[in-house]
Amino acid sequence: MAVRDLNAGAVQPAEPTRSAPSFLDGVRRVARSYTARTLVQAVITIWAVITFTFFLIRLMPGNPVDVYIDFLMNQQNISFEEARQMAASQFRFDPDANVFSQYFDYMGRLVQGDLGESITSTGTRVVDQIIRFLPWTVFSVGLGLLISFVLGVLLGTVMAYNRNSVLDNALSLFSSILSAVPNYIWGLLILIVFGVQLQWFSVGALRGTYDPTLDPGFNLPFILSVLEHAFLPVLVYVVGTLGTWMLNMRNSTISTLGEDYVNVARARGLTSSRILVAYVGRNAALPMFTLLAIHIGFILGGSVIIEELFVYKGIGSFLFWSISQRDYTSMQGVFLVITIAVVVSNVLADLLYSRLDPRVRVTGDK
Amino acid sequence: MAVGTQEISLQQREPTARESLLRPLVLFFRALRRTPIGFIGFIGVVFYALLISVGPLIVPFDSEVRLDQIAAPPGSRVQLLTRAADVDRYRTLDDLAGQTVGVVRETAGPDLVAPYEAAGTFAVDETRWRSGRGVPQAMEDLVDGEIDALIVFSESVRRYITENRDAAQAAQFSGLAVSNEALGPPYIFGTDTQGRDIFSHIVNGGTILIVTAVLAGFLSTLIAVGLGALAALTGGFIDRGLTAIANFVLTIPQFPLLVVLAALVQLNNFMLLALLIALLSWPVLMRAIRAQVLSLRERDYVEAAIALNLGRPHIILREILPNMMSFVVINFIFAVTSAMYQQVGLVFLGMAPINDYTWGVMLYFGRTRGTLFSADSAMMVLAPVVAIALFQVSMVLFARAVEEMFDPRLRTVS
Repeated sequence: MAVRDLNAGAVQPAEPTRSAPSFLDGVRRVARSYTARTLVQAVITIWAVITFTFFLIRLMPGNPVDVYIDFLMNQQNISFEEARQMAASQFRFDPDANVFSQYFDYMGRLVQGDLGESITSTGTRVVDQIIRFLPWTVFSVGLGLLISFVLGVLLGTVMAYNRNSVLDNALSLFSSILSAVPNYIWGLLILIVFGVQLQWFSVGALRGTYDPTLDPGFNLPFILSVLEHAFLPVLVYVVGTLGTWMLNMRNSTISTLGEDYVNVARARGLTSSRILVAYVGRNAALPMFTLLAIHIGFILGGSVIIEELFVYKGIGSFLFWSISQRDYTSMQGVFLVITIAVVVSNVLADLLYSRLDPRVRVTGDK
Repeated sequence: MAVGTQEISLQQREPTARESLLRPLVLFFRALRRTPIGFIGFIGVVFYALLISVGPLIVPFDSEVRLDQIAAPPGSRVQLLTRAADVDRYRTLDDLAGQTVGVVRETAGPDLVAPYEAAGTFAVDETRWRSGRGVPQAMEDLVDGEIDALIVFSESVRRYITENRDAAQAAQFSGLAVSNEALGPPYIFGTDTQGRDIFSHIVNGGTILIVTAVLAGFLSTLIAVGLGALAALTGGFIDRGLTAIANFVLTIPQFPLLVVLAALVQLNNFMLLALLIALLSWPVLMRAIRAQVLSLRERDYVEAAIALNLGRPHIILREILPNMMSFVVINFIFAVTSAMYQQVGLVFLGMAPINDYTWGVMLYFGRTRGTLFSADSAMMVLAPVVAIALFQVSMVLFARAVEEMFDPRLRTVS
């Protein structure tokens, strides 16, 4: 909802940059290639975000050791020095170590694919935690986005074809309302109205990602339980993004309908279904992919609130936990994962766009 | 091109002072007539403006803890209880002159009788709360004749008299009746987990939230327009640098970053929060403004202005900006709704300090104290949820009216 129809600016053909430093000819050709440049840019962006967040989260007041020392002193009534020693043996983390040496240490491991160990639960690798939590978020957010994207594109096309009719006005009011209200507010409304007042489902039983009494595996009760537990988050992701897709697809389709090639297609006597699919639909849906790419980061970030609300154990609730524990390595790991997701989806959208739309195909890319 | 043409075109754009003040208003109301949906949004925006400016003056914030009316349903109120025989005699507190009125500590009673006690109208008998046994104790006193009337909350009446599960106690209290059902005003939205009036919290809890959102939206739009225009008009390395920064900020997960920054910056005032939100949310609009300016710069009338050597300020302020105005204003409105999303989300998670009791804080307490999950007390969450949702909807519908106002077709009608 924060990210709106601003794709006019988002979809910009990459600007021609000055020629790469004069190495070998082959290197120059690779450097000029749109794809290679996009990939290099992506890697640099990811590195910059890691560096930025690395220092930022270490500037947060309170560190995991302080949090734990406080806990020990209150719980076991021991002196600060004793608590400090216990904490030091407990955590593989020295709060007094130089931040820069920590940074180079971290980057060195990261290059080898090692995200380090969780600070507050020693012995747990961050990679394992992410592997444990991420699939649930990818599943719920992915399913929600898929449903709302398809629905939104269909409804948006319907609105554009019947523009300024009663149906169009009603649907556009509906989509304005959907996109105006924050997704967690929809979540709270759904919880209170359908869960608490009407009691259509049991709020308590739907916590977590699946029923813990079942065996995880490829069996029907487990799959049903997974779908049941994901229902509310998915519903909220659908409701929260549907309006944006509808409005943008409507506007995009209306402007496509005015294009000359659509008129020419009509004049040639093509069937209206062929015009709809091959001429209008294909071109109108293009900007939607860029919008989708922008939304992925936004929704992954927003999953913190949704997963906390529904007690759904995905990457968002893991991030919330690690922020409140000041578990630097875990936080860093989640930031990395979300950043990669954003960058990769942007790159994919760019590449897809240049494949599908010959107009933005960049000159250097032959 | 003759010089005369230029003068005429400038004169057409220079209305008299009175016209230039009235014209936007005339255009705006004409736009409202054309768009019923925008009109609804306009009504909503006016309603919220009144709510946050005048509302707090009329309905003061209720901060008094009252133990007998915790999480009461909407419409509950303070009532007057007497013996059934006296129901017709003691309708109001004034009727009780010379008698003894019972109140229970930590309830609304002591406040209601204080002026009468000071004036010596009647004697007051105060019962201690004693872990909830104060109210039935005072009711026993009423049955025994020690007091002549008792100020109770409607929920206590329901619990001890109309729906008492303890048969012996129900029999004991059967001789009591409510003589005044409406001694106090009704709690329109019920009461919260501390027995305070939720309605007063709704009236008072929006001001800081909305001011912060508007401020954040304004700052964000200002940064976006400034940097976007700068990037497009200067070009070169400034353009590339600003675009790169915008793309970088867009890549960092926005909301988690805000959560980290909120912990980093000790957020003790709303202006700082607004600034923080603005600093994270300008890039999307900035890129769009940049694209708009780039395309406007190529238009014939801008090129004509450049050819006429009208100067950069004139070109920016008179040729380019007016043509982006509707886009900028509409995006300002969207920036406000987006800032609302961010700040309420932050408070909802408990990641922003809770100095002021806003709608967001109500959601936070609703979640952490579990009132969200009980049908009776859900109002503590439902009321701010509806308040926030309607605010967002009003803003977005209002944007329609603004869009209509800037529609060039309207200008020709005058």
